[in-house]
Amino acid sequence: MLKKFVITTALALAMSAGAYAETPRKGGTIRFTAPYGSSFANLDIHTSNRAQDEIWAKAIHRSLYKWDANANKPVLDLAKEVKVSEDGLVYTYKLRDDAYFHNGRKMTADDVIWSLTRQMDGAKAYPGARYVRIIKGAVEVEKGQAKEISGLKKIDDLTIEMTLAEKVDPGFNFYQPMLSIYPADEASKDTFATKPIGLGPFKFVEYVPGSRLVAERWEKFYEPGKPYADRITISIMGEAAARDVAFRNKEVDVSILGPTQYVAYKADPELSKGLLEVAEVYTRVMGLNPNFKPFSDKRVRQAINYAIDADLIIKRLVKDKAYRATSWLPISSPAYDKDMKPYPYDPEKAKQLLAEAGYPEGFEFEWTATSNESWGIPIVEAVIPMLEKVGIKVKIKPVEGTVLSEVARSGNYQAFIWSLTSGPDPLTSLKCFHSATPQSACNYTLFKNPEFDKLLDEAAATDDEAKKLENLKKANAILREEVPMWWFNYNKAVMAHQPWLKGLQPNATELAVQNYEDIWVEASSPAK
Amino acid sequence: MLSFIVRRLLQSLPIILAVAALIFVMFSVIPGTFASSMSDDGRSVLDAEVMARMNKEFGLDDPVYVRFGKYVAQLATFDLGTSFRTRQPVAHVIADRLWPTAQLAFASMLFAILIGVPLGFIAALRPGSWIDTISMVGAVSGLSLPKFWLGLLLMYLFALMLGWLPSFGYGGGDLRYLILPSVALGVAPLALLARTTRAAVLDIMNADFVRTARSKGMSESKVVRWHLTRNALVIILTTIGLQFGTVIGQAVVIEKLFSWPGLGSLLVDSVTLRDIPVVQGSILVIVLLFLLINMLVDVLCAIIDPRIKYT
Amino acid sequence: MKFRANLVIGGVLFAGVIIAGIFAPWLAHTDPVMDANLMYAEEAPGSEFWFGTDAQGRDIYSRVLYGARISLTVGIISQLINTVIGVCLGLSAGYWGGWWDDFVNGLTNMMLAIPSLIFALAIMVILNPGLTSLLIALGLTNWSFTCRLARASALSLKSQGYVQAAKVLGYGDIRIMLTQLLPNMLGPIIVIGTLGMGGAVLAEAALSFLGLGIRPPYPSWGSMLSDARDQITTAPWISIFPGLAIFVTVLGLNLLGDGLRDILDPQARTRRA
Repeated sequence: MLKKFVITTALALAMSAGAYAETPRKGGTIRFTAPYGSSFANLDIHTSNRAQDEIWAKAIHRSLYKWDANANKPVLDLAKEVKVSEDGLVYTYKLRDDAYFHNGRKMTADDVIWSLTRQMDGAKAYPGARYVRIIKGAVEVEKGQAKEISGLKKIDDLTIEMTLAEKVDPGFNFYQPMLSIYPADEASKDTFATKPIGLGPFKFVEYVPGSRLVAERWEKFYEPGKPYADRITISIMGEAAARDVAFRNKEVDVSILGPTQYVAYKADPELSKGLLEVAEVYTRVMGLNPNFKPFSDKRVRQAINYAIDADLIIKRLVKDKAYRATSWLPISSPAYDKDMKPYPYDPEKAKQLLAEAGYPEGFEFEWTATSNESWGIPIVEAVIPMLEKVGIKVKIKPVEGTVLSEVARSGNYQAFIWSLTSGPDPLTSLKCFHSATPQSACNYTLFKNPEFDKLLDEAAATDDEAKKLENLKKANAILREEVPMWWFNYNKAVMAHQPWLKGLQPNATELAVQNYEDIWVEASSPAK
Repeated sequence: MLSFIVRRLLQSLPIILAVAALIFVMFSVIPGTFASSMSDDGRSVLDAEVMARMNKEFGLDDPVYVRFGKYVAQLATFDLGTSFRTRQPVAHVIADRLWPTAQLAFASMLFAILIGVPLGFIAALRPGSWIDTISMVGAVSGLSLPKFWLGLLLMYLFALMLGWLPSFGYGGGDLRYLILPSVALGVAPLALLARTTRAAVLDIMNADFVRTARSKGMSESKVVRWHLTRNALVIILTTIGLQFGTVIGQAVVIEKLFSWPGLGSLLVDSVTLRDIPVVQGSILVIVLLFLLINMLVDVLCAIIDPRIKYT
Repeated sequence: MKFRANLVIGGVLFAGVIIAGIFAPWLAHTDPVMDANLMYAEEAPGSEFWFGTDAQGRDIYSRVLYGARISLTVGIISQLINTVIGVCLGLSAGYWGGWWDDFVNGLTNMMLAIPSLIFALAIMVILNPGLTSLLIALGLTNWSFTCRLARASALSLKSQGYVQAAKVLGYGDIRIMLTQLLPNMLGPIIVIGTLGMGGAVLAEAALSFLGLGIRPPYPSWGSMLSDARDQITTAPWISIFPGLAIFVTVLGLNLLGDGLRDILDPQARTRRA
């Protein structure tokens, strides 16, 4: 398993590295697809935290940092350099002097400060607020007690000083497109909502709601020679089958694949040449509510992990488009323990544990799930006979995504199945299981373990990278032992691309979100 | 006639209000809110503070009757409210989708009428013949296929295999993109129209008054042309009017499949996201359109057959 | 005698589907829910699995048989509710006219104006997905078409000679409506009714497509179809057989409706010359 992962990632890196060895061609149109729904929220990226919207935002906007898929960490984008203070709380950024907005104006510190302050508007609800909150003084703005963020100071037109309220790496917060930098003067106008102006490699041209967004090259983009392509069209295509037809018909250049198409494309001699696979930072789990009596007993939770043949489900149902999960942290996480083994399939042991826990005849529970093909009802349907064998009966409660989100945060469930983000930063993602994290934040299973808490607190306080990772590894191991959830799998994202599209990056945070300036189109593309 | 139109317009007002109230009540008891839909992909966690602020910003904290009162007051000034998702006026959001929807609806109905009505007519004039059987079986087949299956089939055949037409999208108004979605959507109304036309024509051909006309000595062809057409048209027109509403509703599935940016997919998306103002607004707009179309149909019917008295 | 063929073929098909549904436990090979063996996932039709298996390794033949129960229940019962409501309201509105007609008209306009699929969707979102909710949702949202047709027919027919004669003879209103008007409008209404049954089955498929159908894992043809939509190219049998089942059922219903209409139409018999 791990070997397969290493080889796949190495191949992906080699492919993209090899791609850079070729000479990028200037010109052509990138025809991208946005597969996660049938619309974009709107043209104000500050209001949306969805992957679907990041796909268009990356073309038109930029943030302080950007995600480097090859290095697997955030790197500076709109800032040229950064100086960190001794105590790790003060970051001084020297901003780029060659960043121009699409209306021609140069970016200054005012724009950065305005954009970040906007997030803390107490009357509105911007999802980015929780990331800006790490800056000292931001909470006061949110509460309406201050107009400006005291910890965000303008030193001069191209230098800002950011004082943090807690010791974290701001890169992980500020690389997100929802924290893009807007032009302070333009963004408050009404026209901005229909004609966004940003710092990205492409300039907005048109948007047909529910259909597509078109942008053309911004000649004054700060990376010399980039973007390579003349235009980019992003077509909204939520239906996998329709996307498949369009891709085979060469009408689009990329398509995120589901399990079924993965198998078909792998088997096709031509299509299999254009597959980009990446282990994403998502863990699929079955959350078990400790307030439901049987699940309060660790033995029952472990029994469930033993009773389900997850490998078989991954192989036959998910078509190998996932990696078996050992615990919470995914394979690409720096704190992943490659020697840790997943729970084996052992229905006898499961029955034994159940009997020990006082349920020799089994019990019945209600499983809340959405209709998602990779981590929803189809998975539950496959698990039901397996649990039935050890005496556990399941009743499915089908819900929509928004209801799932609500019941998980309010504890109004017995068990749920979901795909949760488990990275890229291991400390932040493990924090979900810290007892201080409320259920409404992300501690959906009310996990409480003092040893776990201690390991995390130490890791947060220390500067020693090695000790930090060691602690996080141990904490992850506790999660495996205590099994607050059934650890199902880590997502393998697969993107099919046409042979004339080069420069795609193996983005582990979200494969569908790419840095378009690095992509180019060969002359063999049918789109001119 | 004029008084009839005025009466119908006045009748529409309480209907619109009733629909508004019904939809409002229905969506105020629905589980799930816009705030919780923002984090349904398990990705970026929306923290409780921001969610609470969102609910407050959208006025969802007020008690139901207060919200309804505000809503009615808004409607009185023709203000449909602001979308939760886009933060733009609902009217703008809907206006963007109106033209594609109209195109799809009209194209499908045109396809259905141009083929379905003549088909039903011919079948009725030669009952029991092979034309009758084949057309009716064909019509029934069209009605028996699930739309997304039909749509996928069409996509496969005409776009992928034959390459004659594009497989998805709006195409910025290029009419070629309209063809596949309209056919997929129009097959069902076509079948229904063919069958209804046939049934209506058959029924009327045998009604007493036709026999009376025949016995009066009018020639066969005159009988066919005059009475048949007039009375059958009434029923057919009524059916067409009704089908318009069905088509807009059924369009949802086709719109999702072909990435057609219409009102149907906007509605379903908004329901999924719990963007209540847009849901209410689009349903109201659809209702309004429908009432207008049906009024037109009734007026036409009255003109065609003066015996129908709308007292 | 082509029209008799309608009745016979339609009747046979429909009866066949009903038999499949009733005798499913005896005709099926496996349990439609529990016998899910992932080792046999997505196998093509063969001697062991007549219709092949689906993505979870379940026998499609058995699931199609059991699915008949749910799809038929949905189709028949919801359409029955629709027809009864529609005829009652439409017939009386057309015949009596006046304020009752205005009221029914308004109600019908309101119902007609809201797309039935959307209305059903909203109802399904509020009530939890499941068979009862589906029956309520589909039964309450599809009567307006029948009502309008009944009303239009009543309007057209009430000025007929035989109706006037009946009135003169002193027949009560209800009697006139049931004995004079209803039989003469049964044709289109039966056609609409049988088509509606098929439509209800298709509506269930559409609602499943949108994620709000029958509670899984019980098999209904609609949810089987939409679950398989991604596998249309790789394992087409998963969607072909439920699709075929829907097609055969709806075809049967329609042919049956035609045949019944021919019989019920009192003037039809003299027409065959």
